[in-house]
This record gives sequence, C-alpha cells and structure tokens, in this order.
Amino acid sequence: MKRSDGRTEATQLRAFAASQSLLNRADGSAKFSFGESTVVASVVGPAEVKIRDEKMDEATVELIVRPAVGFPTTKDKVLERALRQTVEPTILSGMMPRTLIQIVVQIEQVDGNILSTAVNAISLAMLDAGLPMSSLVASVTAVIDPQDNILLDPSSQELENATSVHTFAFDNTSSYNLLLSHSAGAFSEDQYFSCMEACKHASERVHAFIRTAVEKKIQKEYQQLQSS
Amino acid sequence: MVREADPSLNEKQFVLQSLKEGLRVDGRRPYDFRSLQLSFHSDFGHVQVQLGRTRVSAKVSAEVVRPRADKPTEGLLLFNTEISPMASPAFEVGRPSEEEVLISRTIEKALRRSRAVDTEGLCIVAGEKVWSIRVDLHFFDHEGNLVDCACIAAITALLHFRRPDVTVIGEEVTIHSLDQRNPVPLSVHHIPICVSFSFFDGGELLVVDPSILEEQIREGDMTIAMNIHKEICALSKAGGIPLEMDQIIRCSKIATTKTAEITEMIQKALADDKAKRQAK
Repeated sequence: MKRSDGRTEATQLRAFAASQSLLNRADGSAKFSFGESTVVASVVGPAEVKIRDEKMDEATVELIVRPAVGFPTTKDKVLERALRQTVEPTILSGMMPRTLIQIVVQIEQVDGNILSTAVNAISLAMLDAGLPMSSLVASVTAVIDPQDNILLDPSSQELENATSVHTFAFDNTSSYNLLLSHSAGAFSEDQYFSCMEACKHASERVHAFIRTAVEKKIQKEYQQLQSS
Repeated sequence: MVREADPSLNEKQFVLQSLKEGLRVDGRRPYDFRSLQLSFHSDFGHVQVQLGRTRVSAKVSAEVVRPRADKPTEGLLLFNTEISPMASPAFEVGRPSEEEVLISRTIEKALRRSRAVDTEGLCIVAGEKVWSIRVDLHFFDHEGNLVDCACIAAITALLHFRRPDVTVIGEEVTIHSLDQRNPVPLSVHHIPICVSFSFFDGGELLVVDPSILEEQIREGDMTIAMNIHKEICALSKAGGIPLEMDQIIRCSKIATTKTAEITEMIQKALADDKAKRQAK
C-alpha cells in the first residue's frame, strides 16, 4: 500500500526525533517530533505553589498548552486536560507534597498527531527534570480510513479523510497499562480493540526509542565528564 | 508563580565593580552583543533566534479576512507576544506582567507603527478581502534582552515568509495553493532592529544587550529601534533614571553600528537558507 506521504506500510510510523535539555531556564525540557509534527515541553518543579492550589498530601500538577498559531482556544483546553490526566498518574506526587509541578507544552508545527507527540515530549521532559515517576508514558495515534484500514501515526491529510481517530498512551511497566484512550468518529468495538492492539505494539517502539535517546544522552554526558 | 529571585548584594556589587573596570560577568565588552544564531524551520516564515542563551521563535501565518471599515484598502498585521511560563516561571498565563506589556508595545511600535511591512500591498479586493498577517512569537528561554531577540525573530520571519499567490478576475478571487504557483514574499520596506541598553551608576555606565543578571541590577534602560538607513523607528525609555542628552546620542550611535551588523547577519542567513532550498 502507498500512503499519502510516501510511507509504504499501514503500521509504519514517521521518523521520530527527540532532544532533551534544550532550554536553560526550565528544570527539564524536551522536543519530540513525529515527522513534521513538533512539540516542545518544559517542566518546572517541584516549585512554590499558590496557596489556593496547594494540596496537603501531594504535588499540584499544572499543565499549559500553547498553540503554534493564535491564542489558546477551547480545543487547547481539552488537550491540556487530556494531557494532564495522562501524565499525572505516573508522577509520584506524594513524594513532593505542597509543591507545584508546572508543565508547559508549546506546539511548534502541526502535521497531525499532536496529542501523541505532546505526550511523548512531556514524558521526555519529565525524565529530564528528574521528577520521581513510577513509569514512562508513550503514545501513538491510529486512524481508520474509508477502506477500513488501520493507519498508524496519520499525517494531517490522512486525518482529514479518516472515519475515526484513536489515540492511546501506555506506560512501560510489564503489564503495559493504558493511560489514555481518546477516540472520535464512528467505529465498531472490534475496530477499537484492533486499533488499541496496533497502538500498543507501536508504543513499544516509541518506548524503545525514548530509551535509546536517554541512553545516548547519558553516555555523552559521561564522556564529557571523563574528558574534563 | 513566584517572581524572579533578586540577585544577592554580593552579586550586585561584583557586577557593578566589574562594570566600572569595563568588564562584564559573561566575558563580553560593554558594547558587545551576544552571539546571534538564526535557524529556519522547513516551512516558510518560521524561524528560531538564539541570542546567547535567550531563545525566541517566530511563526508567521496568513489568512484572508474582511478589512476594517475605516481602512478598506489595508491588510492587517498582528503580533501575538504572550510570554508563556516556559521562558521563565515568573511569567503567568493570562496575566501579563509589566515587563511583558512593555515588550509587546516595543515590538508593536518598532515593526507595525514604523510601517516596516507594506499593508496596502496585502489588499486583494478593496473593502472585501485583505490578507491578515499574524506573527506568533514563542518565548522559550529568558536569559535577558527578550525585546531584541523577539524583534530580530519577528522581522526575520516576516522577510522569510511567503504567502499564497492570488489572482483576481472581476469579482472572482482565486487563491493558489503552494504547489500550484510559487508563493510570493511580503513587501518589507525596511528592517527595524531593536538595540537595548541598560544603565548603571547613575547613568554613567552603559551596556548593550543586557543579560538577565544585568537587567535585574540596572537602574534604567532604553531600547532604540533603528534601520540600516540610520532612521530611528522607535525609542522607548519607560522610566528608570534620567539620562543626559549626550548619553542618548551616544546610544543611538552605538545602535547604528549594531543595526548594520545585525541586518547583515539576517540577510546572510536568509540568503544561505534560500540557496539551501534551491539546492533541494
């Protein structure tokens, strides 16, 4: 099969790219891209929290989404909520009571798949910030096209033609827990589960990529340390 | 979120003492800019600028809108300069600080009110359809002097941007997609460049392109927006210590040379990018 952006397989993901610690002011930051879709995430925390947001037994997680063009809209608020609820369970916030974890997501370029790209960027940024976490999250999006094919990591053109869109995020524990399931459009139960299965396998690849990215970064830092 | 922590008294004293000896904490001379890096993204009008460790990116987009009733033949030029907490935790969402408002105003004055972009050229059908050009500035890192960095990013992005070509036959307007017809650049009359100064010791000492530490310690500041023709496009001195006239003349002379240097760098970066795109 031939996809609109030249990919040859339905399960093929676009090239990943990631960089960590690219910002100076934030405690942790990362950039993640699926093809042209690029998101930068920064994490500050644990930091001082406003009294009205303070929680006595855990950290307050604040997430801000900034669109590439224009002012934040309702759509961005929905994205904020989905992202916060996805990453919050992986943070061991009980270890940092009465503090603030502030995550800022800046969308740089949009070519489909922003939710997944943002989840992966935040995951890397939290890792870079050294937050205590129980697991890492990785996310992949699938669409069902009018011919009933499941296509992974859709481009914006494929998203436009899709009958339904499904985004899933899984952690990297041995049971691969589901952390996010977001679907839109008309689809059957079977279709939903096959999308989930496909995304699960693909998210293993994202997890492997995150692992190599972090390994490479640490190796480089170690070498720098030794040479100095 | 809390405001930026003030530098300690020792730090202040150290910075001031070294400035008196003509030295700056980051090793620059008083009239030096930090290193400037421009990098272009794959789409037109999307550029990231790094001024030392300060980082701002600008993204230009265009859409067709109805013009204002009082100016039926003029296109619109909008700036979005909301600073997210990514730049520094001191910036809050939805509640612009004084600093943020000043930055927006200065950029607006330097680029829009100086008529750097020809808005009449953005008209498609008078009173009906005009282009609205929007510049979104994303502030990534605040390590001092956001104004200059944002101004360079915005004008470079405007110079780099290409809008879709349009043909008008009678009442019919056709907008050609990017692969149908070569997109057209905006007509930019001149390139205003902001140069910021910080003053210390009652206005006796001055530095160009202040770092965040110098911004926190300074007694006064001034930003001059100037173009290569040595025309002042905007001059903003909002508060701070009073300055002598000679000092302002001196600053504008410094701004002249800095503007020439930066304009040359922008044009070189644009030419390099153009060559790279043509080679593809």
